[in-house]
Amino acid sequence: MARTYNWQIQREMSYWYPESRPQRQFAAVFDINKCIACQTCTLACKTTWTSGKGQEYMLWNNVESKPYGFYPLAWDLKLLKLLGPQEWHGEVYAGRTLFEAAPAGTRVLGWRPDDQDYAYPNVGEDDCAGVIEKGASFDIPHLAWFFYLARICNHCTYPACLASCPRGSIYKRKEDGIVLVDQSRCRGYRECVQACPYKKTFFNPLTGTSEKCIACFPKFEQGLQPQCFANCIGKIRLAGWISKPEQASPDNPIDYLVHIRKVALPLFPQFGLEPNVYYVPPIHAARPFLHQMFGPQVEQAIETYRRAPDDPDLAGLLGLFGCTERVVPRWLREKDWVVGAAEDGTELVRVPLKEPVYIRAAFDTQYQVARVNCP
Amino acid sequence: MRDIRHLLLLSLSIALLASSACRKPAPPPPTEVVLFSAADVPLDPSHTAWQGALEFTAALIPQDLVEPRQLTPSTTAVRVRALTNGVDAAFRLEWTDPTANDLPGAARFSDACAVQLPSKIEATVPAPQMGEAGGAVEIVYWNAAWQAVVAGRSDSIKELYPNAAIDHYPFEAPSLQQSPASQQAMTTRYAPARAVGNPVAGPRTTAVQDLIAEGPGTITSAPATASRGQGVRTAAGWAVVIVRPLPKGLAANAPAQVAFAVWEGAHEEVGARKMRTDWIPLALRGNP
Ligand code: SF4
Ligand code: SF4
Repeated sequence: MARTYNWQIQREMSYWYPESRPQRQFAAVFDINKCIACQTCTLACKTTWTSGKGQEYMLWNNVESKPYGFYPLAWDLKLLKLLGPQEWHGEVYAGRTLFEAAPAGTRVLGWRPDDQDYAYPNVGEDDCAGVIEKGASFDIPHLAWFFYLARICNHCTYPACLASCPRGSIYKRKEDGIVLVDQSRCRGYRECVQACPYKKTFFNPLTGTSEKCIACFPKFEQGLQPQCFANCIGKIRLAGWISKPEQASPDNPIDYLVHIRKVALPLFPQFGLEPNVYYVPPIHAARPFLHQMFGPQVEQAIETYRRAPDDPDLAGLLGLFGCTERVVPRWLREKDWVVGAAEDGTELVRVPLKEPVYIRAAFDTQYQVARVNCP
Repeated sequence: MRDIRHLLLLSLSIALLASSACRKPAPPPPTEVVLFSAADVPLDPSHTAWQGALEFTAALIPQDLVEPRQLTPSTTAVRVRALTNGVDAAFRLEWTDPTANDLPGAARFSDACAVQLPSKIEATVPAPQMGEAGGAVEIVYWNAAWQAVVAGRSDSIKELYPNAAIDHYPFEAPSLQQSPASQQAMTTRYAPARAVGNPVAGPRTTAVQDLIAEGPGTITSAPATASRGQGVRTAAGWAVVIVRPLPKGLAANAPAQVAFAVWEGAHEEVGARKMRTDWIPLALRGNP
């Protein structure tokens, strides 16, 4: 085990290999508040990458309702229980990461789902965290709540899948930090399936190798956002690059949301993998639940997000989500417009800070029909 | 008096010697795996030719040297017979395993076994566990799930999960049926390990694979698999025959080594999680 630094838990930790960050790191921000669980992302990935024989059960992208939805079954609960208490001292994680809690003879604390655990991807869908009593009123956070959690591989800085493979069949690309299973080298040992806490590596029983989300690298290499981003109906996703905190640049959209405004947080940072998909937490769900899921900065992230209507920069950047298939490595606000730009400053997309609203007369006199006005 | 006692003792010892010479002593257990000569080496584990080879019982130990380690032992021994026709070396491995595990799945592991020999028969022997840098080993690996496919199980998810419901594979769209080449290309695209030619990925025509290793974690497919193998369920477990080319340099007067490994699928054994032997002396011998 080597000593490495993990900024998400603000301390050094043990990892199987020495720290080796890529030249650039693929990253994404998902705004949970905007997800409608239409599963278009799930199908976009499915039809693009996993329509083959042996891939039937695989959802490299899935959307599950929290707290009672899981894919695979109880993926998070099982691991949280195995890991035991996860204490934070302020913003420093004081508990053990999955690497530090590895049982004797293994490199990572993990568990392997049973075949059946993948069989019910919609279990718990739209199930509320509690019952609505008579006299209940709407408040934030809600008394009874659920939210949709869209998940892909996190292309972790310290991937557990990669650490666990005894053959070194998993690698993290130097040029973009995307984590891939070498399909010519994998022998299907499933150590990665056991080790990935997010359960985002999958065993293909007909080819006998493990497969995982590839961040749509053939698209990403061409400056295009992955399929599950480009097809997202709720426009909840933005793909780009993340810097180390001390190198954060305010004109990089991911840096701005994660490092500067701290409005997007990693999923289960205490596991120690430094995952690179960041979530704007749902404003209406119970805080202790969110604290466990996104770490100690969750309150502050929600407060910042709730003030977005009075915060043209933040609101503007959030409005850039889903407005172009192109990867937008730079952004700026010009008064009432937000511009997404290429690395060299070339404008790629321009969106208004506030979408104009047109209200039409309820009755169309020309065609003599009543109109339905949609917001 | 003393002379009589001496005489008595002498006659008693002669009598004892005589009686022990009459009882046939049990042969000592073999201390090496012997490749006995045979006209032909049968692939079928139940072939009578195997009775002509002495059986060696190899004790299995857990692989607990490198992560992921096997901490709880499972299969305790593998019984080995070996034959050679001068061209091929055939090993018949038999072990006790009450559960047949030959279905692949996320959490289903296949029973398996392997035979390992140094790549070069020479005085310096590589490390017994997968060899070492500069000391390569050749491994022939047999897998029960592969055997089931070779025996006729089709390449369909319904064979693994009979209740699976599949509504559509894009490469089976009727529009593609006019163009077998593009249909094949699309099918391969959705099977990435096959597309890049990974030999474990199938389509499968043999139940074994030839491998080369130079230390733990380095196992690599040999350029081609020349070995053959066949495994059958016995009343108590598995009997598997692995036939590989006779190692070059193996001769009656040149000491050689062989090692074996067994994976118990029901115990979730795969890769480094296995039961293995140390090096066992391997000898070439005429008929037993
Ligand atoms: S999320 Fe899982 S599969 Fe993806 S890089 Fe991290 S450990 Fe590996
Ligand atoms: S990034 Fe691409 S491969 Fe990964 S889940 Fe999304 S669509 Fe699938």
